[in-house]
Amino acid sequence: MNAPLLTLSGITQSFPSGTQALRPVDLSIAEGSFVSLVGPSGCGKSTLLRIASGLLTPTSGRVARAFESKPGGVAFVFQDSTLMPWATVARNVSLPLELAGVAAPEAVVRATDALRRVGLAEFADAYPRQLSGGMRMRVSIARAIVTNPRLLLMDEPFAALDEFTRFKLNEDLLQLWQANRWTVMFVTHSVREAVFLSERVVVMSPRPGAVVADLTIHLPAPRTDAMRLGHAFADECARLTHILGQAMGVAA
Amino acid sequence: MSKLGKALLPAVFGIVVLGLWEWGVRAAEIPDYVLPGPLAIFNALTANFTDLAQGLAVTLQVTVVALVLAALTGAGIAFLLAQSKLAEHMLFPYAVILQVTPIVTVAPFVIIWVSNIFVVLLILAWMAAVFPIISNTLFGLKSVDPNLRDLFRLYGATKPQTAWRLLLPSTLPHFLSGLRIAGGLALIGTVVAEMVAGTSGERSGLASRLLEASYRLELAKALACFMLLSITGLVLYALLDWLSGRLLRHWHESALESAHD
Repeated sequence: MNAPLLTLSGITQSFPSGTQALRPVDLSIAEGSFVSLVGPSGCGKSTLLRIASGLLTPTSGRVARAFESKPGGVAFVFQDSTLMPWATVARNVSLPLELAGVAAPEAVVRATDALRRVGLAEFADAYPRQLSGGMRMRVSIARAIVTNPRLLLMDEPFAALDEFTRFKLNEDLLQLWQANRWTVMFVTHSVREAVFLSERVVVMSPRPGAVVADLTIHLPAPRTDAMRLGHAFADECARLTHILGQAMGVAA
Repeated sequence: MSKLGKALLPAVFGIVVLGLWEWGVRAAEIPDYVLPGPLAIFNALTANFTDLAQGLAVTLQVTVVALVLAALTGAGIAFLLAQSKLAEHMLFPYAVILQVTPIVTVAPFVIIWVSNIFVVLLILAWMAAVFPIISNTLFGLKSVDPNLRDLFRLYGATKPQTAWRLLLPSTLPHFLSGLRIAGGLALIGTVVAEMVAGTSGERSGLASRLLEASYRLELAKALACFMLLSITGLVLYALLDWLSGRLLRHWHESALESAHD
């Protein structure tokens, strides 16, 4: 296992309203790994992701990153595609570069490349509202990878999509990850999605959230679409479902 | 219904009403100083054309300058109020007071304090127009997508970058809808101010001339002024509506109809 890229130690989070979102959480994410966070709604998965991104300062605990923290090092994909409706697809994707002061010609080249990698090269001049939900999410992913981030944080990015689109995006995301090996933290509600994508799945308890299980997914790489029909995949899904059920306090 | 039909329908209605009006006035032999017919009003318009055009120019000048000032200061005030909850809580009630106070009641004071009549009219028209711009722009600034805000923060956007690339475009549709309301209000403000200020002579606006004509029982001329003012309001609204559609045509729901895709 690679050295940790991100180490969260003793993280707790309470909000001014008095809600305690996280009990002390210790989690370390190996460089180049794909880790999913699963758990019941409101268990603090998203909060943990925001803490990992640096957008939220935890009430207590420490966040250690094994890389220089400069803009573009961490990318975030929200549940909603979060695109600027007034800007073309290309301008949306090049936003992180433009904010960092990358010269326009280079930004255009890199944005075009990112769009090509998510399969949307010919939609550079379209506006977000002209695209389907799945395509908008691809644009959002292109924007996240355009800076070639060290850490890619994804907060239920495919939750709002239909199953077919979701499967397709799962495969494409996996291919991108296998080609680039960013370190990915992926929050999801879907057991199948977590098993298919991840090397490791972290299970959280209901609020206040804490890590209650940490499993390695035993499926060979590279993962393929056909794997989803196999016994190994079904077994891993059953195992995760069982553990998730225990975490939620329901007999699985 | 066809586009042409939709455009013709109000015109047909208007012509029918005007025709009935002309016929009624003639049939009942109502004198012009009580109720002139449309033809008499039209004749008054052509006979007094230079006079009325001068008045219209003054009124338009005040209205447009007041609207531009209201747009700039209104947006600026909203931006300042959005900077802190404290500032908003402290100052927004005064913006509301500005709105709910009838400008007729403020006019006598402004007339005493300010000697230049153009500035008096400007202040009163500005007062009438600024509130919807403050209110709508502030609403727009507060409804910026929080995820986009986070995204800008994550990528280390500077304050000017965030203002220019996120706040400005997010707020634009709200600002423009405030501007469309403010256009009509600026005209109303100018008209009310002219009537209260009681200007006369070359530099007097259309509303002053309306009042003057009605005192002299030149009802046809007064109604010609009235119609010119109505048309001015309509044109102003149409222009602002066109501007709004033009600026938002690529992306905003309000301008979807004009986009082709």
